Amino acid sequence: MNRTFLIAALTGFLTLGGASAATTYPLTLKDDLGRTVTVKAEPRRIVSMLPSTSETLCAIAACEKLVGVDAYSDYPQAVTKLPKMGGLYDPNIEAIIAQKPDLVLVSQYGKLEGPLTQAGITVVAVNPETYDEVFSKTLTLGRIVNREAQARGLVTRMKSDIARVEILTKNVVRKPTAYLEIDPTPYSVGPNSFMGVLLTKAGARNIIPASMGDFPKVDPEFIVKANPQLILGVDARTAGARPGWNSISALKTGRVVSIPDELNTMLGRPGPRLPQALRGLAKIVHPELFK
Amino acid sequence: MEAAASDRRGAAGALALPLKTAGLVLLLISAVVLGTGLGSVNVPPGEVLGALWRGLTGQALAGNDVIVWQIRLPRVVMGVLVGASLSVCGGAFQGVFRNPLADPYLLGVASGSALGATIAIVAGWPRTLIPVTALLLALAAVTCTLALAREGRRFPPNRLILAGVVVGSVLSAATTALILRGEDRARQVLAYTLGDLGFSGWPDVLTVLPYAALGGGALLLLARALDTLQLGELTARSLGVPVERLRLITVVAASVATAGAVAYVGVIGFVGLIVPHVVRLMFGPGHRTLLPLSALLGGALLVYADLLARTTPLSQVGIVTTLLGGPFFLWLLRRQSSE
Repeated sequence: MNRTFLIAALTGFLTLGGASAATTYPLTLKDDLGRTVTVKAEPRRIVSMLPSTSETLCAIAACEKLVGVDAYSDYPQAVTKLPKMGGLYDPNIEAIIAQKPDLVLVSQYGKLEGPLTQAGITVVAVNPETYDEVFSKTLTLGRIVNREAQARGLVTRMKSDIARVEILTKNVVRKPTAYLEIDPTPYSVGPNSFMGVLLTKAGARNIIPASMGDFPKVDPEFIVKANPQLILGVDARTAGARPGWNSISALKTGRVVSIPDELNTMLGRPGPRLPQALRGLAKIVHPELFK
Repeated sequence: MEAAASDRRGAAGALALPLKTAGLVLLLISAVVLGTGLGSVNVPPGEVLGALWRGLTGQALAGNDVIVWQIRLPRVVMGVLVGASLSVCGGAFQGVFRNPLADPYLLGVASGSALGATIAIVAGWPRTLIPVTALLLALAAVTCTLALAREGRRFPPNRLILAGVVVGSVLSAATTALILRGEDRARQVLAYTLGDLGFSGWPDVLTVLPYAALGGGALLLLARALDTLQLGELTARSLGVPVERLRLITVVAASVATAGAVAYVGVIGFVGLIVPHVVRLMFGPGHRTLLPLSALLGGALLVYADLLARTTPLSQVGIVTTLLGGPFFLWLLRRQSSE
């Protein structure tokens, strides 16, 4: 898997690297907090406070620019060796400043921009939340770090990898109705959310209507009433222990699948491994297509 | 105002109490009926009765039966149990501490239970273990409070309240620290600390029942002694009320009932604080009416609050009780004082 990814990355790099459009600095842009920010020169010391941003930077040949990441950045291997700067709600601002970054990439949550801006550090919030934003923000990141061509190459590769899975799932005759649980409270995902789009592309019919929102808290009886043929994100024992759930079709046919940790991480991360996340999900929804 | 009110009670008192009691009983019955019939699917009354009949007689469940019998009814019964427990405990605490701001969580039960739940959630233990750790830590928290407050063989009320605040704060800080370690599960912890009746099944109801019955029952038996205590500690002593023992038994009984409730549904705010006050405003302060009527009203209110939580974007019963309980109570207070 990794090796093919590398080869693909290299070929992409060779074909597109020649026609690289260098970013002109100073670069002024509107970030995801609605702030107008100016990046004075090509950043050389970047701290990334979002796992998906760390992954994207590494996927567009900007990994060596990273001098620090948040506590949850764990992919690729290279970022695990970098100094950790805390999490979203308990960031270690002193450690960030001590790295002398010329750019800190944050999410729109967590209020990091205030103290860092005061410390004279350039802060840009980049936070992909929808499916389409995964691609547009990848291009934005590419522009910021002077890796535009690599970013375009990555987006092209991602889209073709996704298309390869979609070709398989699109024409499937039986698309199971599915309930994807992201939290046992229970919370699920609406069809317009990033994960909801992946679920649909994987060839499932989401039982959650768009009207319920992107990450709705679901009334348990709604799930029983909807009677999904496939339940994802819960293990069979937990599901069976819930009041009334034994009457659900998915439990009767044994189609209750808890998502493996690595796939779960990829699904929750709007970054370059999105095609792999989709493939993993499609394998669970339609194992017969991948034999 | 007090005098006028008691005059009115004196005149129509003989009739008013049974009438108002009947009103509360009807309110509770209507809550159970509506709570069982309404939700993401509305089930007509005939079908509800049919589902109950088939559920009770163990026949095969058909159509909406599963939703009514296995999901909604236990959820409603849980609401009644928890609402009644919290309200009775709140009333008893307000009486024994002679403090109108006392609520069932005064001595750290809620913080203990939240910490227990958080430990189980962040560690990723199976869901069935959450109430167990919550219950253990809730009882441990109260034990801690009692130990801190003890002066020889006495438990002075002020020391109890202070000790409760300290224990509560320490445990809340520990809970917050844990949440930060397991950020990805923070939503689950948050849901628990706001109180939620989702996934309450018959086994859960049967587990909570003994706590509610034992704790609540003991408090109802203490009603007369609590009345005497309102005359002041010295007077109560001279009338033969063992004040220290009364305080200890009340605290233990209320903590058992509250801990059982909280362990399963999380920390539902406001009910235990407000319901006894509403009953006092309507029926007067005597504990022999206050405690049982608080149970009726609290049970009914929580079921209605949960119905709102299930059918509106307010989404969690704890949010509903706090959001709607506050303004309602202020309105009631104003109405009373303007009379």
